[in-house]
Amino acid sequence: YEDLHAFELQAPTRLIEWARGNRVCVAGYGQSGGNEILQLLPPPTLQVKETQGLCPERDFKVECGGFSNRPVYSLKYVPDTSLLVTSGPPDSSLQVWQVSAEDSDVIKPVGAIPTVNGTGQPWAKIATVSARAPWVLHGSRLNSVQITEVESRKNVYMAASSNSEELSGLAFLDGNTLLLCCAKGQLCLADVRQPQSPLEAVSVPSAPCGERWCMGVGRGPQGSDSSSQPIACLSSGGHLTLTDLRKTSESLASAKCRVPSPSSGAEFLCVSWAPALEGCLAISGFDGTVHVYDTQSWDSSGREAEPIFVHRGHAFGGSDSSGGPPLVTVHTWHPQKPRTLLSAASNGSLHVWDWVQSCGKC
Amino acid sequence: GAGQDVGRSCILVSIAGKNVMLDCGMHMGYNDDRRFPDFSYITQNGRLTDFLDCVIISHFHLDHCGALPYFSEMVGYDGPIYMTHPTKAICPILLEDYRKITVDKKGETNFFTSQMIKDCMKKVVAVHLHQTVQVDEELEIKAYYAGHVLGAAMFQIKVGCESVVYTGDYNMTPDRHLGAAWIDKCRPDLLISESTYATTIRDSKRCRERDFLKKVHETVERGGKVLIPVFALGRAQELCILLETFWERMNLKAPIYFSTGLTEKANHYYKLFITWTNQKIRKTFVQRNMFEFKHIKAFDRAFADNPGPMVVFATPGMLHAGQSLQIFRKWAGNEKNMVIMPGYCVQGTVGHKILSGQRKLEMEGRQILEVKMQVEYMSFSAHADAKGIMQLIRQAEPRNVLLVHGEAKKMEFLKQKIEQEFHVSCYMPANGETTTIFTNPSIPVDISLGLLKRETAIGLLPDVKKPKLMHGTLIMKDNSFRLVSPEQALKELGLAEHQLRFTCRVHIQDPRKEHETVLRVYNHLKGVLKDYSVQHLPDGSITVESILIQATAHSEDQGTKVLLVSWTYQDEELGSYLTSLLKKGLPQSTS
Repeated sequence: YEDLHAFELQAPTRLIEWARGNRVCVAGYGQSGGNEILQLLPPPTLQVKETQGLCPERDFKVECGGFSNRPVYSLKYVPDTSLLVTSGPPDSSLQVWQVSAEDSDVIKPVGAIPTVNGTGQPWAKIATVSARAPWVLHGSRLNSVQITEVESRKNVYMAASSNSEELSGLAFLDGNTLLLCCAKGQLCLADVRQPQSPLEAVSVPSAPCGERWCMGVGRGPQGSDSSSQPIACLSSGGHLTLTDLRKTSESLASAKCRVPSPSSGAEFLCVSWAPALEGCLAISGFDGTVHVYDTQSWDSSGREAEPIFVHRGHAFGGSDSSGGPPLVTVHTWHPQKPRTLLSAASNGSLHVWDWVQSCGKC
Repeated sequence: GAGQDVGRSCILVSIAGKNVMLDCGMHMGYNDDRRFPDFSYITQNGRLTDFLDCVIISHFHLDHCGALPYFSEMVGYDGPIYMTHPTKAICPILLEDYRKITVDKKGETNFFTSQMIKDCMKKVVAVHLHQTVQVDEELEIKAYYAGHVLGAAMFQIKVGCESVVYTGDYNMTPDRHLGAAWIDKCRPDLLISESTYATTIRDSKRCRERDFLKKVHETVERGGKVLIPVFALGRAQELCILLETFWERMNLKAPIYFSTGLTEKANHYYKLFITWTNQKIRKTFVQRNMFEFKHIKAFDRAFADNPGPMVVFATPGMLHAGQSLQIFRKWAGNEKNMVIMPGYCVQGTVGHKILSGQRKLEMEGRQILEVKMQVEYMSFSAHADAKGIMQLIRQAEPRNVLLVHGEAKKMEFLKQKIEQEFHVSCYMPANGETTTIFTNPSIPVDISLGLLKRETAIGLLPDVKKPKLMHGTLIMKDNSFRLVSPEQALKELGLAEHQLRFTCRVHIQDPRKEHETVLRVYNHLKGVLKDYSVQHLPDGSITVESILIQATAHSEDQGTKVLLVSWTYQDEELGSYLTSLLKKGLPQSTS
């Protein structure tokens, strides 16, 4: 490791979201209420600028917090507003919160975005985009995908689909294009300007069925078109496929990761591209580790790939609330520092780590 | 002091008529009178000695005891001052050290003298952990282990059944040389807790230490020298143990030195107060002195000129004078060297200047010193974070919580968190603000033995599972409360007794003759109230214990009978029960 910070949250989180000014947001997912949403200011040692202040600490500061009765499974900040939205069981509705850091440090609930026939549905996946008005893309199944304008709560788009496939993720590729990933692995595209036309199926991964899939969308520098970056899809069996959306007839590359079958039924599967490290991605959710891969040498043979780094620190943190070994629930890359990642596990640990690149590239 | 702020901790508590002052600290950020707490808040007139019952000091850090000599000798206080034994031993050393910098180096005049420090310490009464100390007949105090630094304590202040716990500075995770704070389930009315790191999620100690060792190792590997300015007591021991272990594990050869005088003084105090260190140290102390190191040797000032890598711990901690400053001047010009500041530095000291980024310092005789060596800051201070505060509240179970020693507005979230999780009120006052906490004191009442015996002998209630209701008369006389029988109360107070009798009419549908109704009622009651004396008297009335039941025909409706139920106030319960029983009606069959 180049650098390593280990923190212990009072309750485990399954999300790490970046906000303005490199702030980080985490939230509890306990079933019995009393969950906290915490917006954290990272330690000065994680800031990009070198000015550290008089006594630079290595600690996170809780900048503001809120209380949620529901477990918080997903959270997204709404760009250009002081609002954020969350989702979680028991239905697919969204909760809207206000973050006003000046006069108080409490994140207040200000309302909800209900969904038609939302009760009993799986929790909604959420995505936001900064190009447009404060829109939130959300839904739990292909036929319930919608875009809501947060302040007015008005729906501005509904996907025209009768397919009730469960979703594992959704994203804005640009201001007008949506990418939806089904839990069974199918990717679909949609155009916001043409709500009546059916969703365009992109590809079906060639891996044994019965596996659950999730996707990771690359993010170019602020505002650039992300459809040039391949989409990474990860399955619960450890298959990784890369797809170029401009050429979807065949997958760009694929590989098999040497991971155990996930103990928690693929609930925490996570794959993400490094924003500042060409061709690198990270996966987690199988056990207490995070794997980092360099995909530049991959081909479409689907053979086993070797990670360039494995973070095992969470396994040493102690067991989770059910007494089992800790499971990494989520990971994310630092937006500017190339090799810095943040990862959280089911035992409440939150790690910030930066590995030393072994010989080869910089 | 320390209301929504760090520095000059000073809290005044008024409990059951007693006034206690908690801590008397100095604010390290000010150079004028604002560095002292504003004692005029305590009382506008009258002497402090008369107003205050005692003063308690939690530990030897200057932001908790720095203003004590000023308070006792310059403002004027002659009452008792309580602190633990290590605090009493170490306080005067730090006070004298600070006095030297402020007066001799900075030339201040309105400051306490060495003699004042000595006079102040004469008023100190030292206490042991968990020892109940009677300050006077009603006020008692008890110290609990707080961790944080050697001798730090949390104090419980108790008057009758009302109590307050003040934490001072504490931490809930043990480190290499001190244990974690601990308190029993004392359920105080109020817990006053420090909240310096309440909104912080702290990096683990391992990662912190790893970073420290990495920096030291890298410097030593490239041939540089590492200077670590420390105070005689406190984190120095922690860091020594850390380096010793690391050197052993990595088989490093570079020398580590410790200022002369420092080792002896530290060892002396740790040996003296060995019970204040943690389990591990106490256990190993018998086999080998934890503070006698294999790789750490005593320093000689000549060594500073030796070529090659080395690590030196030198006093004082803020680079403001003495040996650490001397070494700093020698090594500052070489960029291979490093100085690691292990704690907060007061404004005006060299330590503060270099941490602020200054790289050209003016020394005595207008000499300019160019600082090329690396300047690092590594905090190992031990304070409780949000998780620790919640833990302590869980341990003590207070009815109210008050937070001090933290930053202003940004604590609303913590306040809500505490209120929601523990269902207690949480306060965060600013300096000069008074917070009033309401308590539910319990008032002991003596019950006369005769009354107790009598009440327990009374027959069973209809439902034996219900709690037993006792009747007595409360007499409040001469500051005492007694519960006696009504007869005794009447006798004692010379009052006449009044009798109350209740009568209730119950209507029953029964076309038969009155005496047949009475028979039905009698049989019914005899069957239900098996444990009571139910009698059918010759005059046609029924008695249940002392309650009288008579039946008459309704004046207008022959089919309805009116039962008159009559009882005295003493039999109220049975009377009401009987009435509701009869209102339910009689069973159909007659015997």
